[in-house]
Amino acid sequence: MAEDLVLDTAIRDWVLIPLTVVMILIGILRYFVSKLMQSQPTPDAKVVKEGQVVVRARNLRAGANFIPAKSFRARRAYFSNEENGLLHVPKGQGQNPQAQMFSDPNMAMDMMKKNLSMIIPQTLTFAWVNFFFSGFVAAKIPFPLTQRFRSMLQNGIDLSTVDVSYVSSRSWYFLNLFGLRGLFSLILGEENAMDDTQRMMQMGGFGFDPTKSDCYCVQRIALVY
Amino acid sequence: MAGHGESEKKSSDAVNDLQTFRAENLQSNMKVIYYSRTFLSIIGGVIAGILGFTGLTGFVFYFLMMAITSVALIAKAKFSIHTYFDSWNRVLLDGFLGGLMSFVLFWTFAYDIVHIF
Repeated sequence: MAEDLVLDTAIRDWVLIPLTVVMILIGILRYFVSKLMQSQPTPDAKVVKEGQVVVRARNLRAGANFIPAKSFRARRAYFSNEENGLLHVPKGQGQNPQAQMFSDPNMAMDMMKKNLSMIIPQTLTFAWVNFFFSGFVAAKIPFPLTQRFRSMLQNGIDLSTVDVSYVSSRSWYFLNLFGLRGLFSLILGEENAMDDTQRMMQMGGFGFDPTKSDCYCVQRIALVY
Repeated sequence: MAGHGESEKKSSDAVNDLQTFRAENLQSNMKVIYYSRTFLSIIGGVIAGILGFTGLTGFVFYFLMMAITSVALIAKAKFSIHTYFDSWNRVLLDGFLGGLMSFVLFWTFAYDIVHIF
């Protein structure tokens, strides 16, 4: 850092702070909008029942060593009996969630709404930042970085002589986008924080077969004793 | 769950170290850890920015902050981690990298406002 750039204080007052404040406000707005658009899922009696059975089986497994062996065996038989045990679902009968999703338009609609409520504000903010604040050196990160980070941090400035630690306004937007997640989880509660991970789990859960999980449960119960 | 088969043989003394966690309580404890880490990384970022740390000093400050958080959490759990969490890693490492991004952002923000302009 041979020569330091002198940044105008007007940049701080009219670029840096407004950008951050707007990002925070948009995040809050998005939270409430997505909350409004969320339709309450009406629970299906069969699905709820299955879930409760699995929970009960899990509790039994957890508390297995606290009850007499005889009563445990009785309960195990109740759950995992080959003919009419609660956990014994005939193969291929359980409904695949993926097929369920296609048959149930509400579920697909919900997913789309969620994704849209993520994408639309982001696109709009990005366009807004691009339109008003393109080409500013808005900030300077307090630690040195290598040349590799130039394209990441100085997005929108085509000067190769500027020190890498100076951040353009567009990249400041990206920094905000990632860094404010923690703040949102603090001020908006857990729902917002869990949103992303939950969606990930949903994505990973595609093709997850309830019959398999129940069989899995049977096996695990059999494992205990 | 594999441990259950073994513990059955010595079930008399194994009752104490059996896994008897309630998933909900465990999750709520994890949430507390996550919140306190996020909160402290934001506060720590602002402090580091105002004090004008640059380069490695700031990251050392972050590690220090997280270490203090861990100690505070352990103290809050009355030094018996296994009553509240299933392993030490939960207290020491969980949410460590998640807070780093917030820390860097607020560090940069405060540093710029105070020192650059």
